[in-house]
Amino acid sequence: MLEAIKSYLNSAVTPGEAGSQLWAAIYIIAITLGVSLSVIAMNWLERKILAHMQIRLGPMRVGPHGLMQPFADALKLLIKEDIIPNNADKLVFWMAPVVVTMTAFTTFLVVPFGRTHAVTDMNIGVLFMLGISSLGVLGIIMAGWASNSKYPLMGSLRSSAQMVSYEIAMGLAIVCAVLMTSLQTGTGTLSMIGIVESQYAQGTWFIFKFFPLGFIAFIVFAIAMIAETNRAPFDLPEAESELVAGFHTEYSGFRWSLFFLAEYTAMLGVSSIAVTLWLGGWLRPFPNALGGPTWDLAFSLIPGLTVLAMAAGTFLGTIRMPKIVQMRAQVISLGVVAVLLALVGLFLLLPGVRGRVQDIFWFVAKVACFMYMYIWYRGTFPRYRFDQLMKVGWKVLLPIGLGVLILTAVVGMRQELLAAIVGGAR
Amino acid sequence: MSLTPLLRKVFMVDLVKGLSVTFQNQSEKERVTEQYPLERPVVFERYRGQPRLNVNPETGESLCIVCNLCALACPEQLIVVKGERNPVTKRKEVVSWTYDLSRCMFCGLCEEACSTDALELTQDYEMALYSREGMMLDQAALEHGQEPVRYAK
Repeated sequence: MLEAIKSYLNSAVTPGEAGSQLWAAIYIIAITLGVSLSVIAMNWLERKILAHMQIRLGPMRVGPHGLMQPFADALKLLIKEDIIPNNADKLVFWMAPVVVTMTAFTTFLVVPFGRTHAVTDMNIGVLFMLGISSLGVLGIIMAGWASNSKYPLMGSLRSSAQMVSYEIAMGLAIVCAVLMTSLQTGTGTLSMIGIVESQYAQGTWFIFKFFPLGFIAFIVFAIAMIAETNRAPFDLPEAESELVAGFHTEYSGFRWSLFFLAEYTAMLGVSSIAVTLWLGGWLRPFPNALGGPTWDLAFSLIPGLTVLAMAAGTFLGTIRMPKIVQMRAQVISLGVVAVLLALVGLFLLLPGVRGRVQDIFWFVAKVACFMYMYIWYRGTFPRYRFDQLMKVGWKVLLPIGLGVLILTAVVGMRQELLAAIVGGAR
Repeated sequence: MSLTPLLRKVFMVDLVKGLSVTFQNQSEKERVTEQYPLERPVVFERYRGQPRLNVNPETGESLCIVCNLCALACPEQLIVVKGERNPVTKRKEVVSWTYDLSRCMFCGLCEEACSTDALELTQDYEMALYSREGMMLDQAALEHGQEPVRYAK
């Protein structure tokens, strides 16, 4: 047992590659817990940021600055009555949230949080993620069909049409990135870890590769991924002003919260694809240009210092809380949060820890930017009409994706092409 | 076809503008929501709210001399003042004062009409009640303010 635990610790590959089932299981549990926790955090952040964008305060009463609000909501959802409509197809109705949640979580099998921090390195990683995450739409259609009600059915119909149209643009954008991996190094790869490593080898994130080609492909993907996860401004399947709540109208309590969990997990999943393909995955900024032990040390201090800065901000918030008797418990608990954050920050500064967590930190920071963008879009853009949605998907993103793909191939092979043309002329 | 609208569309200028607006709105200075029971709004000096009948702070006697000017000034005729001359001091003293808050539109004409500054519309804005009966204010309620309903034990 001890041997099994120790055997993996010093290896520089993922548990899947090392063949350590125990550590793979530990990683799976850790990732599941981490993703669920970040969904809870996202719930709070989304409500707060959206409120601030609308010049409101957002949740303020449950805990300091509403920090306990998601837990209160989760508790409420758990103890709510579990309703299955009379005419619903019980089995399918029961299966739908399970399918959606399972597919959303399964994608995280291949997400590399670091060179060693992934469950496994699959040689078809990107394909696996795309395939599994598009299975999620099956769950949505199941939910809409099994509810035996018109709004859910409309929602799921919209969802399937949307997925079909945007998956193509998404795929074309991904193929661009995959093409880029094969340039200069010669061998292309679909493995998530391989893609990040080829970005390191080529000395550039793919978003800056063949500027502006990589950037355009990234934009196409960024738009398509919002549509894929049914988020505003492409949230037609659950348009609350048109379809009550879309495909999960008939769901309540825990089943509904599973849909919620799946939606945010899918958002995290596609954001991780985008980060891996275009933003260098776990790589810190300038791994090649600012190399060397000094820069390594400087960059490895950033995670701890960031958390310490967050702790300082929380402490500042504690000082600025209104000083009245009714708020005393909230002030104290916010202070406790600040102290905990400071402790975490100090822990991340330890020499043994900071080298291990650095790549996780950079990956999570990049994904967090995407999550903020999701909320930002939702706070800004009005929903597209269905024909506009289709127009954007088929008439704009698809041609752009195709064009970028062809241009990437041409630019990438320019020397060989030139040689062939010159040779042909001769 | 001019090139500018096309370029605006391609570079998504309008979308970026919208994004910048929502981003700037996140600033704490923009926040307008107040956490009401904990944070109390400051009303203007000339805000007209809950009516009050002032008393002489030294003697505790009502400043009202039952001149009936406020009742005459009131466009809603919701003030009814009854008084009686005190044979000893030869002054009119209040027998009953009613102020029907449910009909009041807070125009402040009574306040202006009052010759002794006895009647005043204060800055107090918490006037919600569970019954209409509580809105008929008598002299005691007008002088000491209404007792708020307390729910805590």
